[in-house]
Amino acid sequence: MSIISIKNLTYQYPTSEEDVLRDISVEFESGKFYAVIGANGAGKTSLCNAIRGFIPHFYNGELQGDVLIEGRDIREWELGELSTKIGYVFQNPFTQISGVKDTVFDEISFGLENLGVEESEIRSRVADIIQLLEIGHLQEKNPFELSGGQKQRVALASIIVMEPEILVIDEPTSQLDPQSTEAIFSIIELMQKKGKTIILVEHKIELIAEYADYIIVMKDGKAVLQGNADDVLSNEQAIELGCALPQYALFGIEMKENGMDLGTIPLTEKKAISAVQHLLEKRRVTS
Amino acid sequence: MNKIQQFIVNLYPTTKFLIVLFLALSAFITPGYIWSYLVLPICMFLAYLAGCFKEFSNLAIKALLLIVLFIFLLQAFFYPGQEILWQWGIFSVKQEGIQFALSLTSKIVAVASSLLLFFRITKVKDLVSSLEKLGLSPKVTFIFLSTLQIIPEMQKSTHVIMDAQKTRGVETEGKLMTRVKAFVPILSPLVLGSIASTEERVLTLESRAFSAKGNKTSLYQVNKTKHDLKVRILLLILFILLIVWRVLS
Repeated sequence: MSIISIKNLTYQYPTSEEDVLRDISVEFESGKFYAVIGANGAGKTSLCNAIRGFIPHFYNGELQGDVLIEGRDIREWELGELSTKIGYVFQNPFTQISGVKDTVFDEISFGLENLGVEESEIRSRVADIIQLLEIGHLQEKNPFELSGGQKQRVALASIIVMEPEILVIDEPTSQLDPQSTEAIFSIIELMQKKGKTIILVEHKIELIAEYADYIIVMKDGKAVLQGNADDVLSNEQAIELGCALPQYALFGIEMKENGMDLGTIPLTEKKAISAVQHLLEKRRVTS
Repeated sequence: MNKIQQFIVNLYPTTKFLIVLFLALSAFITPGYIWSYLVLPICMFLAYLAGCFKEFSNLAIKALLLIVLFIFLLQAFFYPGQEILWQWGIFSVKQEGIQFALSLTSKIVAVASSLLLFFRITKVKDLVSSLEKLGLSPKVTFIFLSTLQIIPEMQKSTHVIMDAQKTRGVETEGKLMTRVKAFVPILSPLVLGSIASTEERVLTLESRAFSAKGNKTSLYQVNKTKHDLKVRILLLILFILLIVWRVLS
């Protein structure tokens, strides 16, 4: 059964002149990794906001169609309740700090304090997360004095410590350098292995090809293409819809056009190497 | 940290508040201005014991000197009175004016220095924690704490904006007029940017269950010790003695 189901969702912000989300229908199954891609302004962040309940609870405006979280209408959920169900991390690392805590340790415990968890339990859970995400060297620092990448890891830690079943992560690495990006993705991978449902908005298509099970391509507020990652990323139609394909897929398509069909369209480096080896061996046999 | 210092710093915030309240009130109860002025050196002495003599003295003298001087001059020259001590053209210093200025400024010095002392020896974190225990809403204490943390952040972003505007050719240094002119291109991005980032801050707080119903817990706790009770009883006795002395004399 799907954990989130969106049916014919149409939404307009009170201040915008046209719909930002148009007739979107997507089913999210528990434990899978979903990637949302598309150009800027395609409605990716709005979709995240709708899933997290900020639409309509925070932004107001009228929501048409249905967003069901565990079968219950989003309009009936309260924002406070949803915070333990759906974790939300977004793009800007600088505003994702509570602003009332002096140390990273306290910052991470802020969410649990708000939920009224016992003190001893907070301490052990926060210590566990710090160990898990390998940010022990930061725990005594002031969150304001961290770099962007460190802040983003602390922001992720502060959400993960609340143990939500679903993680909505909106462009977590768009302001970060390659090393920090890698660190963030290793955390996301960790969550994937723990069986969390992950909904990720991301532009770095190579990384999506590596992790995502299912891809939703958005354009002008519509979900124009969706399906299993392998299908979407090897689909030439996706290029026309404005989404970049992994370079290995482009390589595969290019080879096919030039009469050297690899048999498949590879998505990752590993698959590309094995496909090319396979092709070369086949040629050797025939010649 | 020595023993006395630890003793003062570790007092419960409300106990500290009672101490400075006692000092401020005593300035109003005792007649004359000598005791009221003495409150400042007493506060400096307490600050010295608490290990923050330099910070406190700097702040107190800087903040108070100008106000006291200004009030003194105004009152000395313009307070209505007959006994003229010194005259220059239409301006004259009167005995009554000096008297009034002394009693007014002495009270200001007493109240201001004791309040300054309170905020020097009390961590905001402690104060907020004790206020929360008294039943103040976490929303109010959040505003309290976040404002204090965000001010240095805004200072930082002011510098960033100033640098950005300088690279675009906005003159930010030099004569007064140039500085005034540079005010708008610096201030407007700062204010607009802060307003824009509140939206994301709300999302952050919501993501951390800030609006969740039910009681919150707090990792940081301040606790009363047996010393607090002793200090409070001592203050009460001193206060009663002071009143009795004032009524009898």
